[in-house]
Amino acid sequence: MTARREQYFTYLLLGVFSLIALAPIVGILVTALQDQSSLASFGEPAGVHFSNFADAWREGNFASYLKSSVIVVISVVTLSTVLSIMAGYAFGMMRFRGEQALFYLLLLGLMIPLEATIVPLYYDLRDLGLTDTYWALIWPQVGVSVAFGTFWMRAFFRSVPRSLVEAARLDGSSSWHTLWRVVLPVGRPAVLTMMVLIFMWTWNEFLLALVMVSDEDLRTAPLGLAFFQGRNRTDFALLAAGAVIVATPVVLVYVFLQRHFIRGMLSGAVKG
Amino acid sequence: MAGVTFEAVTKRYGAVEAVRELSLEIADGEFMVFVGPSGSGKTTALRMLAGLEAVSDGRILIGELEVNRVSPRDRDIAMVFQDYALYPQMTVRDNLSFGLRRRKASKGEIETRVGRAAAALELDELLDRKPRELSGGQQQRVALGRALVRDPQVFLMDEPLSNLDAKLRVQTRGEIKRLQKEIGTTTVYVTHDQVEAMTMGDRIAVMNHGRLEQVGTPAELYDHPANRFVAGFIGSPAMSFAPVEVQGGELRGDGFALPADGRTGPLTLGVRPEHVRAWNGEPGLIGPVSGTVAYVEALGRETFLGVDTPGGTRFVVCVDGRAKEQPGDQVRFGLVPEGVRLFEGEHGSAV
Repeated sequence: MTARREQYFTYLLLGVFSLIALAPIVGILVTALQDQSSLASFGEPAGVHFSNFADAWREGNFASYLKSSVIVVISVVTLSTVLSIMAGYAFGMMRFRGEQALFYLLLLGLMIPLEATIVPLYYDLRDLGLTDTYWALIWPQVGVSVAFGTFWMRAFFRSVPRSLVEAARLDGSSSWHTLWRVVLPVGRPAVLTMMVLIFMWTWNEFLLALVMVSDEDLRTAPLGLAFFQGRNRTDFALLAAGAVIVATPVVLVYVFLQRHFIRGMLSGAVKG
Repeated sequence: MAGVTFEAVTKRYGAVEAVRELSLEIADGEFMVFVGPSGSGKTTALRMLAGLEAVSDGRILIGELEVNRVSPRDRDIAMVFQDYALYPQMTVRDNLSFGLRRRKASKGEIETRVGRAAAALELDELLDRKPRELSGGQQQRVALGRALVRDPQVFLMDEPLSNLDAKLRVQTRGEIKRLQKEIGTTTVYVTHDQVEAMTMGDRIAVMNHGRLEQVGTPAELYDHPANRFVAGFIGSPAMSFAPVEVQGGELRGDGFALPADGRTGPLTLGVRPEHVRAWNGEPGLIGPVSGTVAYVEALGRETFLGVDTPGGTRFVVCVDGRAKEQPGDQVRFGLVPEGVRLFEGEHGSAV
């Protein structure tokens, strides 16, 4: 009886938290589908208005913003993934002088927030003539993501039995071949999880885009959304539709990869 | 094929010496077993031979070639790991052919060799399966097959049977031994199980604390252990030990005496269970020694009794068939003089 009561209580608690988490999302979705004028005048909701999305898309110039975001995100995720895998393999599987010192140096990239370095970073990139280019958005985020990615992949490589690598070495496999053909196929969940996380963080990055680019064509989706919100302070339906447009890609990526994502998170949790 | 030579090989991890001046010659085609308790240095010695650990001092030769600085893949060796280390994403066929493909063998040769190994190990039906779809025993056979297809100069095996259940272990033991004899490849086999060592090895190297204690055929080690450690490690149940003192031309122990034959100093007497018999007045036995039965191990064909003497020495007595004794019973037994071994001091060499 106690066990059953405990179970009810658990469901109740989880239900309440789910509601708290879901309420704003549902709110935004509902708002995005409402009539713009009825919202403004506290009127009764009148039907479902998918046209809000089309209006927001057109007025907000989201095609351009999403294009920029896609370019930046694909570049950052690709570069960071390749570099993190290689660095993680070196730190996780190889023994070399200064290994620990280098690893802690790399971890600084995780510990120091971007906000602390954004101003000097701006001047550095300006001196290099990179501000107002995609590179100003890509390289700093690759730097931050590689710090996390190396940390993440190192933990994965440490969990791989050493004998697997040793067997490959005895079979005549080079380090390069061992990494890509023997060890990495085992680590697909870990790699996909890392990619999803880097994707989300890069997609949602706001401050860097705000500081580094002024050209409208280079603005990423979150930055574009902010400008869009600035222009449409009262049109809640349109604002909500814009927010949904910007958030959708992250949700889609998560939904498609959630099975791997959860497995990757769990394997990390269990194996440390 | 080639022999293997260890010349005063030492392995240090900081201040710790995992292997100390190991010198050993393994003949071409020989089945050599390294046996010893955990931390004895047997696996480290094997890994140095494989090239997975660097040698701190000394030389390792495969055939005539010193391999200290040769990378593992260029040593022409194949290893079977304790956890098999099969490539999980590859099929059995790809696991078997991986080494050959890395060495750029021709397609025809790969097919022939994989086919031959699969037939020898009865893996034909399993070639398209992944390792996770196999039982422990099948995985073990794939690991063996992966070493076999390479046709290397030396096979290295690091406790390959320790993950199998007892029955399968016995069966695979015989299988490995048979395959090795058929192929005739020099094999170095590491185990902590002395039964495996005794049943498989042409010769056995007993290691302890990084040192080679004795090397010899199973019979040599069993009948003439070089020191008390080897005497205690080889044989199951283990040899019984009792301290003896020289008194008036005799070696006197706890309830028994035997001629000193000019030996001096405190010694330890060792005797195997089959040389300790229930006292029945048989002439020539040393005894009678009295004691209390501490435990009874009935194995069916024979029974081992653990008997404690009043002085605190435990002898294991071997009795044919089933014994009627129970723990707590008083018994008398005698020692067969030919089975008695003497060791210097408490831990020393054989006298």
